[in-house]
Amino acid sequence: MTTQYSILFKQEHAHDDAIWTAAWGRSERDGMETIVTGSLDDMVKVWKWSDEKLELQWTLEGHQLGIVSVDVSPNGAIAASSSLDAHIRLWDLESGKQIKFMDAGPVDAWTVAFSPDSKYIATGSHLGKVNIFGVESGKKEHSLDTRGKFILSIAYSPDGKYLASGAIDGIINIFDIATGKLLHTLEGHAMPIRSLTFSPDSQLLVTASDDGYIKIYDVQHANLAGTLSGHASWVLNVAFSPDDTHFVSSSSDKSVKVWDVSSRACVNTFFDHQDQVWSVKYNGTGSKIVSVGDDRAIHIYDCPM
Amino acid sequence: MASFGWKRKVGERVSKVAVQKFEAAADRQDGAEKEDEVDWLHAIKRRREVLLEDCAAKSKRLKEEGAALALEGRHWEAIKRWDEAIQLTPDNYLLYEMKSQVLTILQEVFPAVQAAEMAVKLHPLWWEGWQTLGRAQLSLGEVDLAVRTFQVAVHLWPSERPLWLEDLAWARKLQQQRRSAQEQLRREEEAQQEVLNAPELQQDYDFESDEVVAACAAVAERQRHYEELKSRAVVVDAEGHAREVPLEEGAGDSPSSSTDHLVKARGL
Repeated sequence: MTTQYSILFKQEHAHDDAIWTAAWGRSERDGMETIVTGSLDDMVKVWKWSDEKLELQWTLEGHQLGIVSVDVSPNGAIAASSSLDAHIRLWDLESGKQIKFMDAGPVDAWTVAFSPDSKYIATGSHLGKVNIFGVESGKKEHSLDTRGKFILSIAYSPDGKYLASGAIDGIINIFDIATGKLLHTLEGHAMPIRSLTFSPDSQLLVTASDDGYIKIYDVQHANLAGTLSGHASWVLNVAFSPDDTHFVSSSSDKSVKVWDVSSRACVNTFFDHQDQVWSVKYNGTGSKIVSVGDDRAIHIYDCPM
Repeated sequence: MASFGWKRKVGERVSKVAVQKFEAAADRQDGAEKEDEVDWLHAIKRRREVLLEDCAAKSKRLKEEGAALALEGRHWEAIKRWDEAIQLTPDNYLLYEMKSQVLTILQEVFPAVQAAEMAVKLHPLWWEGWQTLGRAQLSLGEVDLAVRTFQVAVHLWPSERPLWLEDLAWARKLQQQRRSAQEQLRREEEAQQEVLNAPELQQDYDFESDEVVAACAAVAERQRHYEELKSRAVVVDAEGHAREVPLEEGAGDSPSSSTDHLVKARGL
């Protein structure tokens, strides 16, 4: 058990080109920790995290353009990946085989996100629609309309009640999943929102934007609870810690920052990447953070608990 | 501006105290005029500041002149202006990007790629710089590099439809076309190998007439197959489907003619 933040492991040259996305999953069946990465080299790679090091488990081939987004189902069995040509593929993490292939149509898929029950995948489209695909059926089952612009980011609330989307024009929409109704529209940022994340208790929503700011919203009342500055450039990704008190952000200023929610202060900055850091995620307990970036490296950090 | 001071009017009839008072007041008044006087102590420092200001303003003027010239089709003159501007403000990514566009029009493909590379190095988050780099790379025939570059641009700004529909889609079509062409070349080479190393000739045989005739016939058949392959070219139609067509005279350089079309299609 560590008492301070430190870099634990570096996997240099994990892909042949920039790494744009990463996800951290844990298998419900055997407790295996898995990291999935997606790169501009068209590959999705599955890494096993054990004994404080990464081991390449699968290289998943099939996408014909760069991988924009990956996610691991909350039960840890399936990975989803989306590429620039709006193809979504589902992979069985145990066998490394492709289970489903979905073509969302030109530019009609960007960030992919599993629902908390692992049954659906949500993705945004260029016309401002949120499309929800069934994992079992492999087909589009619902569609939520923001009537807005290109949706860059998507997040389910962990309690399964809400779905939030962030658009390229800085507008945030929050939907009630049960009714499919648009609950709130927030004019949070004037620039693209590349990432958003709910707190584990589903009370807070954190957004990251090209304007360099991170904003915290109270989900129920749609109030702005705080604006955080610290990054010198675009904030590319945010992820909440399972401990409910911290979240992590990554930026094109090459840094990864850990923030304390109650004090709204940055508690640690990692300056270990050589280039922009596109994606950052916590593991299931909040004891580790993974980050990936244009420098083709995967970094794992230790967090005090 | 001629400086005016009380000192010159000081005469014997004025008391010393009064003179001092006047001088103090004059000093205060002169404060505003001091700007024009030579400040020897800070002369060098001030000159550098003025120079920097001058550089930015002059560079801006040259940039605009260059843009106007480029619009008139006076491309080389435009480049000359921008080169001067780059000397003054070497960190201005816009200058390199504009220069790259015009160099591509002039078919100065290699310098065009270099200029665009400089632009994205100075400002890697600016998708338009990546778009220009990709277009320059396509003109150079670096299709694979261009496909990568356009992907970086789309990733930075996915809502830009033309980037998708024109640049990335077109580059991928060219990529497919080239792959088909390479496949054709490989098959040709294989056929040629068969002609040169005919298995019938490698076997030891005793020159009986029917065997020789059979071997010759087999070789002739392969030769014909090779000639047939050679007389075909791979053409990719607008939907990106590769198909083979009989080769006509002078139709050999389809990749370069299609890149010409690209430049025209962009309306630059």
